[in-house]
Parts: sequence; structure tokens; C-alpha cells
Amino acid sequence: MLAGFISLPLLSLVIWTVNEGAWRAMSSPVALDALLLSAKTTAVTMAIILVVGTPAAFVLARAEFPGKRLVNTLVDIPAVLPPSAAGIALLLAFGRMGLLGEHLRVLGIELSFTTAAVVMAELFVASHFYVRQAAVGFAGIDRDVEEAAMVDGAGRTGVFTKITLPLAFPALVAGAVTAWARALGEFGGTIVFAGSFQGVTQTMPLAIYGTLERDFDAAVALSVLVLGFSFAVILAARFFTRRAGGHAGQD
Amino acid sequence: MKDRPRSFRARVSCLLLACLAVGGLAACGGSSGGGGGEQSEGSTLTVLAASSLTDTFEELEGTFEEQNGGVDVSTSFAGSSELLTQIQQGAPADVFASADEEKMNTALEEGLVAEPEVFVRNRPVVIVPADNPAGIEEFRDLAEADAQIVLAEEAVPIARYAEEVLDNADAEYGGGFAQRVRDKIVSREANVRASANRVALGEADATFVYVSDVTEDIRNQVRVIEIPEELNVVATYPIATIEESQNPELAQAWVNLVLSDEGQRVLEKYNFEPVDQS
Repeated sequence: MLAGFISLPLLSLVIWTVNEGAWRAMSSPVALDALLLSAKTTAVTMAIILVVGTPAAFVLARAEFPGKRLVNTLVDIPAVLPPSAAGIALLLAFGRMGLLGEHLRVLGIELSFTTAAVVMAELFVASHFYVRQAAVGFAGIDRDVEEAAMVDGAGRTGVFTKITLPLAFPALVAGAVTAWARALGEFGGTIVFAGSFQGVTQTMPLAIYGTLERDFDAAVALSVLVLGFSFAVILAARFFTRRAGGHAGQD
Repeated sequence: MKDRPRSFRARVSCLLLACLAVGGLAACGGSSGGGGGEQSEGSTLTVLAASSLTDTFEELEGTFEEQNGGVDVSTSFAGSSELLTQIQQGAPADVFASADEEKMNTALEEGLVAEPEVFVRNRPVVIVPADNPAGIEEFRDLAEADAQIVLAEEAVPIARYAEEVLDNADAEYGGGFAQRVRDKIVSREANVRASANRVALGEADATFVYVSDVTEDIRNQVRVIEIPEELNVVATYPIATIEESQNPELAQAWVNLVLSDEGQRVLEKYNFEPVDQS
């Protein structure tokens, strides 16, 4: 029943593509700009999350330090905070009149209404999903395996890149896909903090919302595009995990 | 569902709207919200109104509920274009009040509303933050100033009026006035009140609103820059009952209240221009 509930709306989107206006609507400048912007911003967001989030997750999984519980809570808050509230929070911090934004403005840095603001909104809401799953992945690794490698003469970095990372890889990919999906779907934070402008801050979800009242077909076209895009990314993620899994087996 | 694709589409998009809308819309829950009461007692009247009507219609809501004991009025404010989409997708509602005649005419042509009546007029103005960081002293400065301008989404009435004003200014001032102003737009907002708030919060340097949007709430945070009379347009607001209304008499009663002296007084209080009833 759940499968039916999920597949029927998706099927409706696909069936709609038979409509003659569909392809024209999908290749409209609004749609293409939004798709490109969503691809760009989520790519940057994911790069930052992977680079900063992986060590953070490792530390959270392995190390004990004062204030760890506080850090854990901070990581979790954006996941339960409604995104529009996140947008207000970002605005109050980094907006032109914001706590930090006011000082940034003196330095000539303005964040609201920029693509950077979109990335910030995505980072804010999505990073939790990667860090949390990655930390679980790191925590689940049998420390004996790592120690055995050390005994066999592997250095600390060698152990991390050859043993720890490959073993945690499925968890990292799963976390990355969830985080990416969250970033792609980001709406409330973006519209409040970054605003909505074609090609600059109008990502797919904003474009869908923006065109819904003007042109229903365009809104559906955008939804179909985003569905295809998501599908492609999930397939790619699957492919990489499987290949990595195969390699780990061979090693 | 198979034989009624339209209603299926209606439901899908109604759900979408309900999930996506930033403002609280009562459209989807409009008819079920009453808890299944009797026709007259405990019934709900759902009024969809342009967001510039927020304060006036909220005030009239109280008046109406007093006059019609037991009726619960539920008002939903959004850009007129968004409201039109909701009506087109079959949202259960009783009255539609639009900030331009174009949206109303579309609804009329599609047989969604009864004969509309113009009930009020409004004047577009430009607002800037009280401290006016971009130094916009008069309308002409819009093209020169180093300013971040916001404007409502393309289909929203205020954006259409603003485009008309810019075209008029282009003809008058020349030098690509309209394009230079358009180039400064950094964000398109869902409706006129969202644009007004961007300026009130100091996030944007200027926007187009109606003079009635400069309410008590934001009066101290913004400064009004009048658009020269010869360039300006008059915003015309029509109201009509919705054909699918479950409560046609109550819907008509709301329209009558808005057109009555009392309704017009409330609108005038908020700087709308009452229509000449002669």
C-alpha cells in the first residue's frame, strides 16, 4: 500500500510528460536555470559537507571531549527545526541587519539574495543528515580490524584511508545521498533568507512554487525534471557503493 | 479518478499549495474546518483576498461575524495570482477579491465566479527603509541609486502595475529607465506584503507596494516615495462570489458588507480609495 501511495503521484508525473506542452515547458529558461542552479548549489553544499563533515563525524564517533553532548545537539537541531524557521534564523544572523551581517556589510560583503545564501541555507538544513549517518558508520567499525592493520605496520593515515574509510563507505554514501536530497528539496530557508530570483537564488523548489500560480504545466515540468535528476543521483550513488563494496572485497 | 482527471489534478495541486504556501492558507481545509455544522448555524465562509487587503478584511471579518451570529469567517490572503490558481484547481471557497481586474476576468471567463463588482481602488507607491541606505529621495532616483530592489512575482498584480509605471517612466525619462530599474531587482516575492516586509526589515532598499500597505506595523520602518501622478496607474479591486460556493447567500452578504458604507469606511481608514457608488 505504501508503495502504491508513493508510486501513484510519481507515475502521474511521468504520464504527464506525454503531454505536448511538457517538453517545451521543461526546456524553458526558468526550468533550465533552476535545474542548473540546483545542481550547482547542491554540489557546492555537498563538497563542503563532505570535507568538513567527514572529520567532524569521525571525531564525534571516536573522541571524547568536553561539550560533546552540546555539539551533538547542535548538529541535530537543524533536522527538527522547520526550514522556514531556519531561514529566519539565518536572516537574523547573516542578513543585512543581522548580528554578523551588519558587520559583514561594512566590509562590503552582502549575503542575502546571493547564490552563497542558497548554499548556506542548504548547508544549514542538510549537514545533519550526513554527519549523523557518517558518525554511526564510523562508530560501527570493529576497532580490532584497525588495530590489526596497525600491528601489521600501517600508519595512522594508512589505516584511515585503507581500512576505516572503505568500511564506513556505505554509511557515508547513504548519509551523503540523504543530505543531498535534503539540500535539493530546501525551500523554506532559501525563500526566507536568499529570496527568489531566476538564475541566482531560484532553485527548483522555488521555481516550482513560483510558476505554480502562473503556469501549472511549467510547475509540473519542473517537478518531472527534479524527479529525473533525483533518480539519476540515487542510481549513481548505488553504482558507486556497489563498486566500492566490490573493491573492498578484493583488497 | 480515471474518469475525472481534472479533480485529481485539483487535489494534487491543492495538496502542493497547502504544503508549499508560506502564508497560512485555509483553502484546503476550508469546508471541513467547520466541523460539519448546519447550513446557517456554525457554517464557515471562506474569503480569498489579495494580500494588500489583509488588515481591512480582518477587521471586516469581526464585523461580519457579529452581524451573522454563528458564522465563522475564514480569510486567506495571498497574491491574487496564487488565489486564482487555487480557485482554478477547485479550492473550496466562497468569495474572491482580486487586486487587479485581469485575474478576476480570467476567473469570470472560466465560469468560476459570478459577475464581479469593483469595490475599491489603490495607489502604487515606492517604499524604502526609514534610514534609506540607497539614498532614494524621489522616484527618479530608482534608476540611478546603487540599490537592491525587490518586487513581487511576475503574475502578482503589484508587479504588473509596477511594470506599467516603469514603462510610463521609460517614455517620460528615456535612457533605458525601466531596464535600469529591472536590473536592480534581486528577488521576486510571493506577494506585495512579502515585498513590503523585505524593505521594512532593511533587507532590500526599495520595492513597489500600495499606499495601503504602509500600515501601522511598518509605518516607522519605511519611507514612502510617491510615484509622479502622470506616471502612476490606479489599482482597481474587483470582488465576486465563487460559483462553487456552498453558501451563496453568505458569500453575497460578504460582498454587500464590503460595498456598504461601513465596509468602505474601513477600507478608507487604511488609505484605500473608496469607489464612487453613484
